[in-house]
Amino acid sequence: MLRIFIISATVLLAALHGADAAEPTTTPIRFGLTAAVVRENLDLYERWAAYLGRKVGRPVQFVQRRTYREAMEMLETGEHDFSWICSFPYAKYRDSKVFGLMAVPVFEGEPLYRSYVIVHKDRSFRTIGDLEGRVFAYSDPDSNSGYIVPRQILSDLGRNPDSFFRHTFFTYSHTETIEAVAERVADGAAVDSYVWEYLNRREPKFTAKTKVIQRSETFGFPPLVYRTGVDAELRARMTEALLTMDKDPEGHALLAELMLDRFITAPSSLYDNVHLNLDRR
Amino acid sequence: MRFLSSLSLAFKLSLVLSLIVAAVAAAIGGAMVDRDRQRLHEALRGKALLLARSVAVTAPEPLLRGDSWTLYKMLRQLTQGPDGARETALVAAMVLDPEGRVLAHLYPALFPIGLPLMADNSPERPRLQAELAMRDSGIFDGEGFIEGVAPVQASGKNLGLARVRLSTLELDKETASAGVSVLLLSVSIAMTGIILGSIWSIRTLRPLHTLARSMEELGRGVVHPLPVSRGDEIGQLITSFNRMANELDEKRKLAGELAANEKVIALGRIAAGVAHEVNNPLAGMLNCLSTLRAKSNDPELVARYLPMIEMGLKKIEALVKDLLIELRVEDAREVADSSCLEDVRDLIAAEIDPARIEFAWDNRLEPGDFMNRPRVQQILLNLLRNSIQAMPTGGRLWCRFWSDQGKLIFEIEDTGHGIRPEDLGRIFDPFFTSRPTGTGLGLWIVFRLVQTMHGSIDVNSVPGRGTQFRIHIPREPRLATQPA
Repeated sequence: MLRIFIISATVLLAALHGADAAEPTTTPIRFGLTAAVVRENLDLYERWAAYLGRKVGRPVQFVQRRTYREAMEMLETGEHDFSWICSFPYAKYRDSKVFGLMAVPVFEGEPLYRSYVIVHKDRSFRTIGDLEGRVFAYSDPDSNSGYIVPRQILSDLGRNPDSFFRHTFFTYSHTETIEAVAERVADGAAVDSYVWEYLNRREPKFTAKTKVIQRSETFGFPPLVYRTGVDAELRARMTEALLTMDKDPEGHALLAELMLDRFITAPSSLYDNVHLNLDRR
Repeated sequence: MRFLSSLSLAFKLSLVLSLIVAAVAAAIGGAMVDRDRQRLHEALRGKALLLARSVAVTAPEPLLRGDSWTLYKMLRQLTQGPDGARETALVAAMVLDPEGRVLAHLYPALFPIGLPLMADNSPERPRLQAELAMRDSGIFDGEGFIEGVAPVQASGKNLGLARVRLSTLELDKETASAGVSVLLLSVSIAMTGIILGSIWSIRTLRPLHTLARSMEELGRGVVHPLPVSRGDEIGQLITSFNRMANELDEKRKLAGELAANEKVIALGRIAAGVAHEVNNPLAGMLNCLSTLRAKSNDPELVARYLPMIEMGLKKIEALVKDLLIELRVEDAREVADSSCLEDVRDLIAAEIDPARIEFAWDNRLEPGDFMNRPRVQQILLNLLRNSIQAMPTGGRLWCRFWSDQGKLIFEIEDTGHGIRPEDLGRIFDPFFTSRPTGTGLGLWIVFRLVQTMHGSIDVNSVPGRGTQFRIHIPREPRLATQPA
């Protein structure tokens, strides 16, 4: 396995904490984005950033991060004040006091999503168990739906996920994972159900070449978090801006484009079954 | 070749020249196409190598990370041409591990990650093995493709192999279409050249046609000078022709005048001969007459001189008769078949004494063997009478007539006294005779008539043994027999 694990620097820089209050109102608020969402639609995120900026009274800038780990570190170092992260890092670090749960997207009526096991539509695999000795694509080593869940399913089947496949690789993007299966670089993959459904409806170029052969249990939808050190008032304004989006016509339209119903607050216990996987890993 | 030689000169000239030009054009075009192909081929080789190297240079990092997806995207990037157009020549691109297993392939469905690129017994396997062992990049020319190969190295360690295969199909297609263009161009050059060349040649050679026609007319005796309107070789030719035609015309006129003069001279000779032949007996007769006038009472003298005067007059009569025959028969023209010869036979048979002379007649001429009756009859009569006179003591006379290849042959043979060798050259001269009573015109008439009919005479004579005349005369065509 030529996988490189980035050793996480978990040391917090205490000096950064008190500095937030002095931020001038023109300094952009950095909002991290990860593979948990469809990052390709830049225009939509720009408009959403502009919307949020107007609501909170300060420019908002979405910053794309390649890996979850990277996004988490940006949050830890204070580079990002807010971030839309994956369920797994949230569950993993929710007790670290680095960040707090700000809002959870509601997707098709529930703040939940699943992991989809997908294969090329012309292949005859029916479950992930049929993919033994094949090439499998993961999205990110910290992805719940794209890494933890399929491995958990295999473990539940009594198979060793490290040796079950002939070859595995990371794409660091659910979208590209779907592409990898569509182009048959990988025989199978596990992806975020929201991303697959979103693309299937908006840009079915690659999803049309894939089919979902297995759907996992539901998990708490990848949450939007705030950095613990962020200015309380800014945090409140951002939370308010997100939670009221569905009441605002413009916000409503943006939500529709994101294929989300609205943002809600939810208890941390929503991610307990994600945490369970963490424990079992 | 026979067909070619029958073509018009104008067409042949332009055909040959145009074909040469087209062949040169095709050769130059072909050479250029070939050079272009080599240049493109070289460029394609360079490109294959460059692509393989670029993959090899960027591959180590994702390769070490096990990032098959990035490797694949790198390969996919190669298919994007410089202007966003698809790189159509790229038929394969791959990154292999040192054992020849696929780490990434442009066609993952056909060459899945982690599996050997090809079976161990594949015919291409030895080459792959050689490529895997390479420490430097290289290019291989395959059937229809060019392969650029570059080892993927990090810290001097061989991590794998980058292989990029470019198709030469496009190149071959381009070469073929360029070749076709050159060919079409050459053919159209040839066609245009032939058409334009033919038109030009026909215009140029038109005076030659006129010249040829004029020459033909010249052969028939019609002379008219051609206009000279150009200064080139053809113009010179026409000038020469005009000069030649004029000279020929003058020569012909001169010849005509000469012939007329000759006729006058011949006529003069005949007249002189006649005058001489008439004058001889005339002088004797006048002598007799003056003697008789002086001694008219002498009956003895009268009895002696009258026969002498009669003989002189007879001689003059015979001379005039023969001359009249000649004049009559020379212009006679009446075609008849061989049966007309029977008249001759009857005439001669009546003139000879069968007790003295044996007369044999063998006429083998066919009814279709036509001849000029009066002339042939006269010829035979003259010859036969000569033969009879050559045999005063009797002998044998043969007549044999037959035809051979359009010629009528008349053979007359006697056992007479023959002709002396020194006389043989003069027997056809007018007034030459070996007999005191002869006019010397019989054989001259024969000669003249045979000559008029374009025939020939052979004479064989042995003195004391006999003489043979053989005459060849062309057969008269029946159609020309109708008197005009």
